[in-house]
Amino acid sequence: MALPINFASAVSAAKPSLVAVFAKRYGAGAGILWSADGLVLTNRHVLSSHHPKVLLADERQLGAEVVATDEEIDLALLRVNARDLPAIQIGDSTQLRIGELVFTLGHPWGQRNSASFGIISQLGNAQTRGRRGLIPIIRTDARLAPGNSGGPLLNASGEVVGINTMIVGGNQGIAIPSAVAVDFVEQVKSKISVAN
Amino acid sequence: MATNSDLQALSSAMAAAVQSAGASVVTIDARQRYPASGVVIAPGLVLTASHVVQEDDIKVSLPDGEELSATLLGRDPNSDLALLKLSTLKGSAAATNENPQIGQLALALGRPTAEGVQASLGIVSSIGGPVRSHHGGLLDSYLRTDAIPYPGFSGGPLVDAEGSVLGINTSGLGMGASLTIPAKLAWKIAKSLEEHGSVKRGYLGVRSQLVELAEDARKALKREQESGLLIMSVEKSSPASAAGLIVGDVIVGFAGQLVTDHDELLLQLNSGVVNKSIDLEVLRGGKPESLKVTIGEQEEPAHEHRSHRHGRRQWGWGWRR
Repeated sequence: MALPINFASAVSAAKPSLVAVFAKRYGAGAGILWSADGLVLTNRHVLSSHHPKVLLADERQLGAEVVATDEEIDLALLRVNARDLPAIQIGDSTQLRIGELVFTLGHPWGQRNSASFGIISQLGNAQTRGRRGLIPIIRTDARLAPGNSGGPLLNASGEVVGINTMIVGGNQGIAIPSAVAVDFVEQVKSKISVAN
Repeated sequence: MATNSDLQALSSAMAAAVQSAGASVVTIDARQRYPASGVVIAPGLVLTASHVVQEDDIKVSLPDGEELSATLLGRDPNSDLALLKLSTLKGSAAATNENPQIGQLALALGRPTAEGVQASLGIVSSIGGPVRSHHGGLLDSYLRTDAIPYPGFSGGPLVDAEGSVLGINTSGLGMGASLTIPAKLAWKIAKSLEEHGSVKRGYLGVRSQLVELAEDARKALKREQESGLLIMSVEKSSPASAAGLIVGDVIVGFAGQLVTDHDELLLQLNSGVVNKSIDLEVLRGGKPESLKVTIGEQEEPAHEHRSHRHGRRQWGWGWRR
């Protein structure tokens, strides 16, 4: 290859869309600017209060409203009162292949805006206790730590393909595929429009 | 400046490597509650880790999900490799890369469950050997990688970015971490297992101690050799006793190669000399002599899982090169 490969390109595209979510006495989770008009996606388990605060990449700190949560897929949708936010590029997780390069963004151990990389280790399913029964999950060897929860798993193009959600066996990351997150957000949106 | 497309190309190349190599990675079910992986080296032949094969009832699942029964052709506890024969000539053979380089990208692959192939990314961290295995034998060479060895990866391959097998991963050699038996060595051992059911290692029949050679001895040898192996005992009816080796002799050469420590001697005995007559160079009473020895065959330990402590006591322990 004539040029050195620029690993930073995938991360730099998504970095403005990474937020920190403060909803517990200690520590913070990560979150993703899902739409330019203020929707923020994060993990359900990051929240413990109904009045979380969201810290944007540009250091603005905003109060957020919890729009919807789904325990079964461990996702939560928040809304902040802001416009023209740098929404993340959403990738198609159904096209993922094992071995593909992936990057994570988050705040592991409170270290803000930290990245790690690895590959898609496996595309599998997990049993849930909810109505879905079985949901697709992504396994990755990219290093995750507390503080990565709710942050994006990015592909080589810098598109979000998963929501980093948990660590198993001490060294394997589990992400909820972006397709599951897209479904969740669309369902919430349609419920809201019906209610209106 | 590099563009995004280079990164995407690398990403796709690795996905392709996992896909092509994964076609040769199978699931091994031959030890209770111990899922493991294996690599197809020829249709009907699967190389895996020896420590994952403990039951007579061996099941191998191909990438397409088909489950086949298999028999054990042979095992080599020293390298923790075992060769299985499938009930039919199925499976697609893996390609190999016999020239690993430190720093090159490496993917560890496994197929511990029916959920499909799993992979982790790293590089070839080190290339080492020879090293003593806890069976008292000598492992000629090994690789180490920083790719995570997930549960069930034992017996699976470490592959390069093109999907060619660099080696077979195992956590069964008890050297503190998982290591990888390089493809060149692993395929050589597999051939031996296919032909003889075991790996033939030479047997001499002496116990020896490393000694420094005195000034006079070095002069007598006419070379700058600083050490040799002092024979402490000779086993009865062994190749050594048949050749007339006696306590007090100092082994300094084997088939024209210098013997400066125990590993050198083991390496020579491992190099396909069973039943061959070779020249053993010794110092006897300070003078060099050459003896013809017909090398015997080392019997494998009766049980694979003999105590590690025994191995340590007999051979010493550590990273000897």
